[in-house]
Amino acid sequence: MSEIFEEVGVLDQTFTQKTLKNGINIYVHSTPKFKTTTFCMFIHQNLARETATKTALIPFVLKRGSKSFPTSRKMNLFLEELYGTSMGGDILKRGEIQIMQFFMETVNHNYIDDKSILIKGLTAFKDMILDPLVEDGGFKEDYVNQEKEILKRNIESLYNDKFNYAIERCFQEMCKDEAFSIYKYGNVEDLELIDNKILYNYYKECLSHCPIDFFVLGDVDEEEITDLIEDIFSFERKEITQVKPDFVSKFIEKPNYVEEKQDVNQGKLTMGFRTNTKYSDKDYYSLMVYNGILGGGTHSKLFQNVREKASLAYYAFSRLEKNKGLMLISCGIEFDDKDRAIDIINQQLEDIRKGNITDYEFDSTIKSLVNSYKEAADSPSMIISLYLDSIINGTQRTTEDIIENLYKVSKADVINVAEKICLDTVFFLNKK
Amino acid sequence: MDSFIRERLFSKETKNGLKVFVIPKKDYNKIFAMYSTHYGSIDSEFIVPDTGEHLKVPEGIAHFLEHKMFEMEYGNVFDKFAELGASSNAFTSYTNTTYLFSATSHFEENLRLLLEYVETPYFIEASVEKEKGIITQELRMYEDEPEWQVLLNLLKCLYHKHPVRIDIGGTVESIQKIDVETLYKCYNTFYHPSNMILFVIGCVEPEKVFELVEETHNTKGLTPQGEIKRIYPEEPPTVYKSSHTVQLDVNEPLFLTGFKDIDVGYDGMPLLKKEITTGILLEIMFGRSSELYERLYEKGLIDDRFSFGYEGQKDYGFCTIGGETKDPDTLHKELSESISGYIKRGIDIKDFQRVKKKFTGEFISSLNSLEFIASTFVSYYHKNVNFFDYLKVLEEITIDDVTKRLNTFFDFSRNATSVVVPK
Repeated sequence: MSEIFEEVGVLDQTFTQKTLKNGINIYVHSTPKFKTTTFCMFIHQNLARETATKTALIPFVLKRGSKSFPTSRKMNLFLEELYGTSMGGDILKRGEIQIMQFFMETVNHNYIDDKSILIKGLTAFKDMILDPLVEDGGFKEDYVNQEKEILKRNIESLYNDKFNYAIERCFQEMCKDEAFSIYKYGNVEDLELIDNKILYNYYKECLSHCPIDFFVLGDVDEEEITDLIEDIFSFERKEITQVKPDFVSKFIEKPNYVEEKQDVNQGKLTMGFRTNTKYSDKDYYSLMVYNGILGGGTHSKLFQNVREKASLAYYAFSRLEKNKGLMLISCGIEFDDKDRAIDIINQQLEDIRKGNITDYEFDSTIKSLVNSYKEAADSPSMIISLYLDSIINGTQRTTEDIIENLYKVSKADVINVAEKICLDTVFFLNKK
Repeated sequence: MDSFIRERLFSKETKNGLKVFVIPKKDYNKIFAMYSTHYGSIDSEFIVPDTGEHLKVPEGIAHFLEHKMFEMEYGNVFDKFAELGASSNAFTSYTNTTYLFSATSHFEENLRLLLEYVETPYFIEASVEKEKGIITQELRMYEDEPEWQVLLNLLKCLYHKHPVRIDIGGTVESIQKIDVETLYKCYNTFYHPSNMILFVIGCVEPEKVFELVEETHNTKGLTPQGEIKRIYPEEPPTVYKSSHTVQLDVNEPLFLTGFKDIDVGYDGMPLLKKEITTGILLEIMFGRSSELYERLYEKGLIDDRFSFGYEGQKDYGFCTIGGETKDPDTLHKELSESISGYIKRGIDIKDFQRVKKKFTGEFISSLNSLEFIASTFVSYYHKNVNFFDYLKVLEEITIDDVTKRLNTFFDFSRNATSVVVPK
């Protein structure tokens, strides 16, 4: 069959990078493809018990008010006038790095009646991050107290989301003695230790010492926007602390089994593995293919065998935590089917180790991975997220590099990488 | 079509009545296609067109049918899409069933495959039985999701009889009654091209898509089908029940209140106008920039996951307002008082103008996503609405429209509340 459609599109999102004197990295990518301009700022911090809860609280306190917009209502009134410019902050966790993420997205001025929308948006963005509402040497006390309460509820409400709860608990049990076990929003107990002054001083320290990356993506003039950001964000900083995802290599003799009982209707089976392969390793591509064959889509062994053949589950998949070198399997099953499901899953792992990989499984995996990388270029947030991953892991890979390397992976490579993968912890959410 | 937003929509209708729409986006890597039928979980009673048989089918059959469409005589269609490097999926709502794929290569083969499998029913007993196990686990998964349960219970309160009060997937019991024969009857009634739409967006030439569809459809020789007669029960204007509370194994209560819309029975532009008008109203009253939001947030009654929305279909409509809260009763009281206050005071013109600007910007921003354009276009199409009329209709809405809606929609005799509390 001849291909009648042309394949158009650009693969590479080339960001122009500039490092300011204070160490802040600016990455700008100019493209007319999108109707918005996206700004993202990432403040990186090592994930540690002493700082995690404070770090988690900051974006939420900053959203509450700044010098020019002392309440979030005033800030929102302003943003809505700017054609619903969206602005906010949240926490990301990449391996053992905790990241404060701030974002702002405005409609490109070509589509609306306000040529200064970008400047106005950027001013509000800067205000939120750099000019918080301060009283008596601390953040506004009411805001901190209210946000502490909300963060507490937010941490506790993970329990309501059984799917993610089971995944988080599996990682927690697995990495008990490692920083990775810390939840991205920190700990409820540590909230007591935080007040408005402690938090403000901690934030000032972060601004002085933490690595900061600033992304701009949209139909912008690269030079002009870089100058603008340089003007706004050239504040004084001190020596920059190193952060890294902190990969550990670990081979497990006997896997840990943990069960928890709740009043639920479906059992959630999660299995955590050490891949002993890190993102910057050469054979990371083989690991990606391994994961794809095992549980990365409808073509995968887990979907085909746990769902389609045995009809045990509606969902069954595996995924990688690439920064920390972990792999996770998750499925939702009848409580009584647990042992059968584990047997089937183990059989799949064993089959890959033995090289029982069909051409269909192998080829479909490569194609599906290539497809998802190419698709990522159609979304501003995915473009930035992938680039951020490569910055964190110190490997500046282009999408083209990744695709080229994926095509080079052989079945033998997959079998080799499989040798290093070992089951660490099984977590089962059972009924009472 | 619209030079202002720089999107061009191409359309064509085939001889057997299929409507095809294409939006070329040359600078995108992917192509995203949706093939969708105007048939959802609420269409559980109807007249079979060719026999005139009056049929009442088991709850959840539209969703079950969607699962079984992926099966072909040669095996599973998922596998074929995977071989072509595409990702494929499908979903069923109250009113539509939609099949989709996204791909960055082999566009023609993927599109042919989409047409072929959706147009080829293949149901056999053994695999229908096997699917019951998978769907049971899907339903069990939703039983443990408090957000889904709180919404289902609210709809059960708002509606006496309308099938929107039944879970899209049916129940573990109802799906046991599904068999091969009924699946074929549903398929033959609702999957005729004249009841469907094909929407393609991405790096394609519209002409190529039209050619391909014509070519595959010409070989089929499908005969035109008359109008499908759907039967919905007579729904009283009142709510069935004013509140419902369930216990689940959760940490914090979940609260959702809603108003039943009785201004229903029409689609097209008037429905779009009603939807946007209601959206503006809700945003003014409960949005991030409202006094109410600020007060509730500072009192610790809501957090930033508080949300609200309006769902408008031809034969039903309702709004939902709520989220996690430590005190559902106080939150309900605050919301009700605020609504009464607005009815007394009316809407401020500044709020109205600002929210209109916000909606304009958000519409333009949403066009970044091909998936969003496709799914919104398709679901609007089934309501006889052209998605790209959105900005024009938004522009035409006046503060009087919003005020009128405020005074008619929020009738407390049509209010119901659903709560999930910790066990």
